Amino acid sequence: MKTYKLKISILVLSFIFFWVPVSWASLNVVTTTSDLASIVKEVGGSLVKVESLVKGYQNPHYIQPKPSYMVKMNRADLLIYQGLELEIGWLSTLIEGARNPDLRLGQTGHLDASTGISRLETLESEVDRSMGDIHPSGNPHYNLDPENGFIIAQSIYNKLSELDSENATKYKSNLEKFNSKLEKKIIHWKNLMKPFKGTKIITYHKLWSYFAKRFDLNVVNNVEVKPGVPPTTKHLAKLTALMNREDIKVILQSTYYESDFAKMVAGRTEAIILVLPSFVGGTPETTDYFSLFDTIIQKLTNNLQPST
Amino acid sequence: MKVFTILLLILFFSSSNAWSSSEYEKLEKRIRVLEKTKTKSNASSTATGLSNRFNPALSVNGLLLGTFNDQGNYDSSKEVRTGLKIQELEIRMAAYVDTYLRADITLAFEGTTDFEVEEAIAEALLSKNLSFRAGKFLTAFGKHNQLHTHAYPFIDLPVVNEEILGEEGLNEIGVGASYLLPTNWFSEITFQALEGANTNQFNGRAGSDFAYLIRQNNLWDLSEETTMELGGSYVSGKNNLDPTSTFDNKTQLVGADLTFKWKPSGREAYKTWIWQTEFIGSFREQTQEGWYTSLQHQFAKEWWVQGRYSGYSIPNGVNKEDKNQWSALLAWVPSEFSAIRLQYNHLNQKTADENQVLLQLNFTLGSHPAHKY
Repeated sequence: MKTYKLKISILVLSFIFFWVPVSWASLNVVTTTSDLASIVKEVGGSLVKVESLVKGYQNPHYIQPKPSYMVKMNRADLLIYQGLELEIGWLSTLIEGARNPDLRLGQTGHLDASTGISRLETLESEVDRSMGDIHPSGNPHYNLDPENGFIIAQSIYNKLSELDSENATKYKSNLEKFNSKLEKKIIHWKNLMKPFKGTKIITYHKLWSYFAKRFDLNVVNNVEVKPGVPPTTKHLAKLTALMNREDIKVILQSTYYESDFAKMVAGRTEAIILVLPSFVGGTPETTDYFSLFDTIIQKLTNNLQPST
Repeated sequence: MKVFTILLLILFFSSSNAWSSSEYEKLEKRIRVLEKTKTKSNASSTATGLSNRFNPALSVNGLLLGTFNDQGNYDSSKEVRTGLKIQELEIRMAAYVDTYLRADITLAFEGTTDFEVEEAIAEALLSKNLSFRAGKFLTAFGKHNQLHTHAYPFIDLPVVNEEILGEEGLNEIGVGASYLLPTNWFSEITFQALEGANTNQFNGRAGSDFAYLIRQNNLWDLSEETTMELGGSYVSGKNNLDPTSTFDNKTQLVGADLTFKWKPSGREAYKTWIWQTEFIGSFREQTQEGWYTSLQHQFAKEWWVQGRYSGYSIPNGVNKEDKNQWSALLAWVPSEFSAIRLQYNHLNQKTADENQVLLQLNFTLGSHPAHKY
């Protein structure tokens, strides 16, 4: 009787300890950012289970390498990250701690989504940390140029069809669907943004470079004096003067920054602060890569003055 | 004439429109292809945090310390007395050795002359979930013991750690394995076989007097913003007690730790709460026990305020002792690479109570591996 009870309790205990939810999807993907997860969903469809570690409303520079992320990565077949040092403060700790040999650098389950992206603001000349939180290999916010969506989707397609070659044709047709939808959307977005060509704006952090380049906005200066470094009063005074002189009416800022400094500047100019999502999920209505741009562009077109 | 003009206009515009929509799309496509084929060989270092290609990631942590102590200013044997010193200079090198091994070495200078190999670890992932290490390392006994000096939440050690494990902590040469359990939450079990050289607790008379450590720790996400970590540690080994003594020369160390962390989603750069508590007991011919609890609060992007209580006692025997320490700290952290920290300690003890004020400049040079959670 006693051994019977023991057996039962061992059974129950091992069930509690070793029970892992079974998923019917053939590939389990973890991404660092939500834009990558959204594109994986488009290309992978129902064949892929995907989760983003960073939520769209969180600041990817300040994520803590929580051991619970290691558990997710331990169970994953594929890790996709944004790269260009966006995740430098925490991803290496997670890859080590996940103890999943497939996800390590150079292994099949490791994908740097920045491969093939035309980078902006790469620093070929000398750099040091007196320049703030700089990313010498390029600005990592390339997800905000929808044209880069094609490149990211292609990389994801290549990887998915490599890991799961049986379903390659399915991934291919998903990719084509995504591409043709994105093509149409980009034409639409460009048309919406056309009247604002060349409009001068201020951004809080150097986060909108790719977006501004694609849609012909002119980022004149930033509220931060250096990336990641809060502005000095001198810089704010200079910025205020510049904005009044050049009649700059808009400050763009991502949802995850405090807007105290931007408000100071806005108070002394006639500018408004536009708080925009910078990743999918940054605001509730940005549910995928398309609605992210729908939201950003709608907010911009409602608030920018057409350049005449 | 009017009709003609209108016709001409229509013709002109329709054709130009036709040109723009189809040709425009073709051009767009060509640009797209060009952008796709444009590649750069400039490798990024996000994945490993290592740079300089095959050179190890090299970093230096400097800790400059100014101390005021209202007791024992003329006692040169005293560790904490009024003065200026280099608290520690840590030089760290980390890289993959080859396909199998990763090495992580920390060399430390205390003051200007005392040199120590603080850590020299070679680590390998043996199979999925199971990692193995060999070398000299800060053993997995509790939470605080695993930290390098520059990563201490306060400038100094809690009294309980200093008294039971010593200034250098439980830092041993040995081998270890750690296994990530296949649970839904983070759960890890660690075994370490150690030389047992710690003079406070082990240092057995025979060379073969090893110490053995086991640690089990768990972390749960209580919400998206809050985590709870619970761990337990146990070490068993031989100490250098005289064999003619009425006691055997066995030492058992027991530890338990509980940590809560909170960071607001969407405002992670600006606010943090950390509450950490740890109990440590040593059981041998006499019992030593104590605990600390500390609260750390980041209240603005660059500012932290912290408090800590630590108690320590030998409840029985000839060495009977009871003391405790209250600490408060204010830190300005302008970036992740530097901090200026001001700490006040009040020490209640059998001899005269001590008041200490510590001021530390903490900086990091180079490519430093990301800290653990």
